[in-house]
Amino acid sequence: MDWECCWNRDAVSSGECPNLREGDEDLLEFPQRRVLEKCCDCPNFRHDLERFEASGHPLATVFSLIHSEYRRQKIHIQSLISFLDNKSLEIRFLHELGSVLQSSVDLEEVLSVALTAITAGQGFGMNRAFLLMLNHDLDQLQGYLAIGPRNYEEAHQVWDEIAHNDMDLQTLAQSFRANKLTAERAKFHDILEQISVPLSNTSHILVKALDGQQPLLIENAFHHPDVDPGFAVLLGVDTFLLMPLVSRNRRIGVIIADNCITRRRISEEDMQSLETFTFPVAFAIERASLYERVQVELNRVTEAHNKLKVQQELIVKMEKMALVGRITSSIAHSVRNPLMIIGGFARSMLRSTPDSDPKRNFIESIVSEARQLEGVLDEILNYSDSLYPTKDFWDVNQLVETAFRDSTDTLSARGYSCRFSAGNGLPPAYIDFKQVSYCLRIILQCDLNSNGHERLMEISTGQENDTIVIRIQDRGHYLSQQEMEDVLVPFSSTQEMGAGFGLALCSTMLEKQGIQLNASTSPEEGITFTVTLPTHKEVQQ
Amino acid sequence: MSRLLVVDDEANIRLLYAEELSEDGYEVVTAAGTAEAVEKLQEGIFDLAVLDIKLKNESGIDLLQKLVKERHDMPVILCSAFSCYKDDFSAWLADGYVVKSGDLSELKQEISRVLSKKAQRHNTGQ
Repeated sequence: MDWECCWNRDAVSSGECPNLREGDEDLLEFPQRRVLEKCCDCPNFRHDLERFEASGHPLATVFSLIHSEYRRQKIHIQSLISFLDNKSLEIRFLHELGSVLQSSVDLEEVLSVALTAITAGQGFGMNRAFLLMLNHDLDQLQGYLAIGPRNYEEAHQVWDEIAHNDMDLQTLAQSFRANKLTAERAKFHDILEQISVPLSNTSHILVKALDGQQPLLIENAFHHPDVDPGFAVLLGVDTFLLMPLVSRNRRIGVIIADNCITRRRISEEDMQSLETFTFPVAFAIERASLYERVQVELNRVTEAHNKLKVQQELIVKMEKMALVGRITSSIAHSVRNPLMIIGGFARSMLRSTPDSDPKRNFIESIVSEARQLEGVLDEILNYSDSLYPTKDFWDVNQLVETAFRDSTDTLSARGYSCRFSAGNGLPPAYIDFKQVSYCLRIILQCDLNSNGHERLMEISTGQENDTIVIRIQDRGHYLSQQEMEDVLVPFSSTQEMGAGFGLALCSTMLEKQGIQLNASTSPEEGITFTVTLPTHKEVQQ
Repeated sequence: MSRLLVVDDEANIRLLYAEELSEDGYEVVTAAGTAEAVEKLQEGIFDLAVLDIKLKNESGIDLLQKLVKERHDMPVILCSAFSCYKDDFSAWLADGYVVKSGDLSELKQEISRVLSKKAQRHNTGQ
């Protein structure tokens, strides 16, 4: 019998079998493989089989049966291979997705990856996705983010761009986050803003999906009994998928996905794949949200720690100050009293010692040195007082009047006339009253080199912006600018303790309170001191 | 002759005050602490008291408050080694405040001023 198919030949040439294609060259000389892979499906082989059956051979019926079963099994195997290939792709995609989601604690990155995966061609290939998050404070679901085109033109432009760039999922998500996240939020702002469903509204389809913890495929949404018509109109699609995001029984949110552009049918397989995907997404979103909260709490704790550290340093400083206070208090009592006794009795002896007495000079020296030591002691004690100012709000005019009154006798003895011009309606200043009062007395009573001009001391108070300025103009004195600067710097070359150190001490004391003490000098105007006082508590850093 | 009560825990300072103020024509009685001062005050009338603030384990401020309450007609001058009390509210009860110094002229001026003021008050019947 002449057979139409080449199944009975050991070797064939390339043109003899119509089923052989490019790449099948190795089958030309392997008849068994050629028969199984090509001949069984060849129309010529079927003709040969029909002829064999017609010949009445007893094996013909059995052989036909075996051939049919072989073909059925072969188709089934091919179908399984195709299914496995698809699953393999899906697992690879989910693995990639899982790797990205597991490694990220950045909420925006997680959301970008999740929504990109839903809409990317190499992902689930949906056209559009909305993410609704649960607002725990308000106890409601709220639109948070969306991704996808709003019309055909935009869709084609985006898809062409994606196809052209051929990016993997992670790169695509990174690009989305860097370039499009903000724009997408703005693009879907109108829809997102309108999606706000209280969890108490248990009849709403979104809450049902979340409570049921199962994905829902909604078809015929405009007429669906469970779908609010307004919600369907807002989405503008008839079919959409609702995927609840639940992490360890904690409700996170809901994803809505649809094919608003292509109108492709959403299959059960799509739903199952997306359901698998929502578990890691929900977990990643929850973890990223928790991480954000932990970061906020960490910042608070760090801030509190820093404040505590500052307070601790302050306490240590205050303890040191208290120690300094106790030491200086002890010095005051232990040194001043003997000094007073020495100086006092020396003075008493001096009064009763005649000028001609050769010992008078010695007594005068004792009086002079005791006075000098008292001056040094005053300055040490005043400096220790200044180390920790106690501030409050005080009336500046009253402060100046008090210092002025205390200095009147000293100034009158030096031949000064005094004028005080009090500013009206001044707010209280935030200062240490004792220290500023002391400084004003020192400034008023400082005995700098006299230039012999008019002996007039003028004081004025006034407000400048948020500060109060006290001006003290001493027309009886003049110093060069360099001398003036030296007077205000502690331990400068022109000073010794107990001899004009007071102004430098004042400058230091005021500086510690954040109060400026400036001095200017001119031969015509004399010396002008300017003290600038704050009217507000300093802002805590 | 005005009678002054000087309260100070330092014997030499009491001596110095007694010498200097007696020379200026005052009758000076001294006390080393609060208890002795109270005792002296019960024994006689004084025109003015000069108090030290730190009296060993006692406080001159406490004595000042007691005197203001019980002897409000007797002016008190605080005389202390510490200038810092001058602006303390508790020290404002006193009629005068002088920082201790070997030069007693400030204390003498203050005594004179306070006594003059007291005399004026007395004359005007206040």
